[in-house]
Amino acid sequence: MKEFKFIIKDKNGLHARPAGALCAKAKTFNSKIDVKCDGKEADAKRLLSLMSLGAVSGKELEFYISGDDENEAYSALLELCEQKLGDGE
Amino acid sequence: MYFKDTGEAVFKGIGITNTKAVGKIKILKSASSEKREYSYAHNIDNEIMRTEIAIDKVANAINESSRRTMSEIGKSEAEIFEIHSMLLNDDDFLDAIKSEIRTGKYAEEAVEISAKRFENILLSLDDEYLRGRSADIRDIKNQILQALSEKEATKQDSEPYILVSDDLTPSQTVRLEKSKILGFVTFGGTPSSHTAILARAMGIPAIVGTGYISDDYDGMLALLDGAKGEIIINPSRKRKEQFENEMENEDKIALEHERYLRSLMNKPAVTRSGHKIMIYANIGDESEVSGAISNGAEGIGLLRSEFLYLSKNTYPTENELFEAYRDVAIKMQGRRVVIRTLDIGADKKIPYFNLENEENPALGYRAIRICLDRKEIFKTQLRAILRASSYGTISIMVPMIVSVDEVRKCKSIIEECKRELLSNGVEFDKKIEFGIMIETPAAAIMSDKLSSEVDFFSVGTNDLTQYTLAADRQNSMVGKICEENTEPVLRLIKACADAIHQNGGWIGICGEMAADLSLTQSFASIGVDELSVSVPYLLGVRGKVSECK
Repeated sequence: MKEFKFIIKDKNGLHARPAGALCAKAKTFNSKIDVKCDGKEADAKRLLSLMSLGAVSGKELEFYISGDDENEAYSALLELCEQKLGDGE
Repeated sequence: MYFKDTGEAVFKGIGITNTKAVGKIKILKSASSEKREYSYAHNIDNEIMRTEIAIDKVANAINESSRRTMSEIGKSEAEIFEIHSMLLNDDDFLDAIKSEIRTGKYAEEAVEISAKRFENILLSLDDEYLRGRSADIRDIKNQILQALSEKEATKQDSEPYILVSDDLTPSQTVRLEKSKILGFVTFGGTPSSHTAILARAMGIPAIVGTGYISDDYDGMLALLDGAKGEIIINPSRKRKEQFENEMENEDKIALEHERYLRSLMNKPAVTRSGHKIMIYANIGDESEVSGAISNGAEGIGLLRSEFLYLSKNTYPTENELFEAYRDVAIKMQGRRVVIRTLDIGADKKIPYFNLENEENPALGYRAIRICLDRKEIFKTQLRAILRASSYGTISIMVPMIVSVDEVRKCKSIIEECKRELLSNGVEFDKKIEFGIMIETPAAAIMSDKLSSEVDFFSVGTNDLTQYTLAADRQNSMVGKICEENTEPVLRLIKACADAIHQNGGWIGICGEMAADLSLTQSFASIGVDELSVSVPYLLGVRGKVSECK
């Protein structure tokens, strides 16, 4: 099991497009990937549940990754968060 | 609505364009409002298969819409379809539908229940943007239901028809075969709804807000009168003949009017009291120049210079910009070409500029605000414009000005560019005109000071209106405020006109108001020197000026 936390810096939060990118990336791994935010929990491979987190800017996302490719998934998702939900530039 | 003894049914609404059409009506059912009766027994596997086939169909249609929109309109407009496609393939949605089917629901019911659930979840969120996505779920739900009903409403229509529907979503309109449509009638909607805009763009009659029209009329002949805002279904022979005669007469009059306008084309537009107004064209790129000239444009009042930036994946080079501007200047053969410098921002985004999303893009980081910050980008464009100026008559115009200070900064950057070109021995028009757009109330209020800094003003009425009235034209709830309150904007324009005339400069209007013939007299009275409109309006505006006092 790998886990990391990420505070959303992008002003628009986890919107449809970053959520879509996150979901598409998560689907490329076998690992089970859960995302928690504000007590709500979502499966990262499901777009609507990710969007339903209502994760706005400033909120913390907690990722829990477990499976045979958890290490790869961990670094890929962390990078994606920084790209899509970080400061922007 | 009412019935007459003749069996005619008449529905009234708000007419959109003043033209008429005769043809059979096709009622496009909004799939979700249809009452369903199932004549076959429920079978889980069968219903799941129906759903999967329908979703597959919709996915293909969405890809097609996305591709079309990308090539016909643009990448950012196509993004909506990308989101639709992601929602359509989402496991949450599919699982919800399947589990509803397993509890004994038919595919249609399962789709509706599942979509409603996710719509409600999104609507309950705090975030405005995510709440807005619920409309996307509704849109794809309707498409799936349409695919399930297998009545492909817009295919295999060999005959042109009048389209009657609840209201059309953007995804529906993009798939319509436009050449087959004679007119639109929508049960709901407003003059600013999507369908109304489409009808205006296509120049065909439309009526919105007729109230419900029953499916029973599907396929019947109808007379659509945009001027009266009326549709008569199943008309008597006598009424039809009369209507067709009227149409023929109107066509004749329209043709004659066009001929009359064409006869004015090469004469200056002068009011009866002798005030001359230059009629210029607004264009987006060089491809529109020949149309502008053949419709009598005496110049280009607004060349939107974004096109080269929008069509590329990275910053265009100075040479690319230069060549594009030069081509327009050459084609205009010495007539004035006003090039507006880059007008982008959070509302008109270019990916490689890496602009952040903003809560309120209309009041945000845009146009000259970006150019003064990112001076090198601005200078590249200015040098290109200056170089092109030796091939014709070019004016530089900067958008979104609020202060004298900004104008001076722009001028000093232009001087810097001129010095660089001079020292490299590059030719340019040393007397190139410099002007600003009046789009903010601040600029209009400061027009007495600004007028001594520039050669001309050009009023961008779209922004000036929304900033003056604090109302967004596109927003159907407040758009009317803009339509009904032109006087404050006209007063601001008057102040600008007086100021610039005192300093020997000229003033033009390049926003949408310029094409509004009900305002031409006001502009003439104010002393406006130029009206710049898109190509289809050139002849009409010229004709109107000659009728003015």
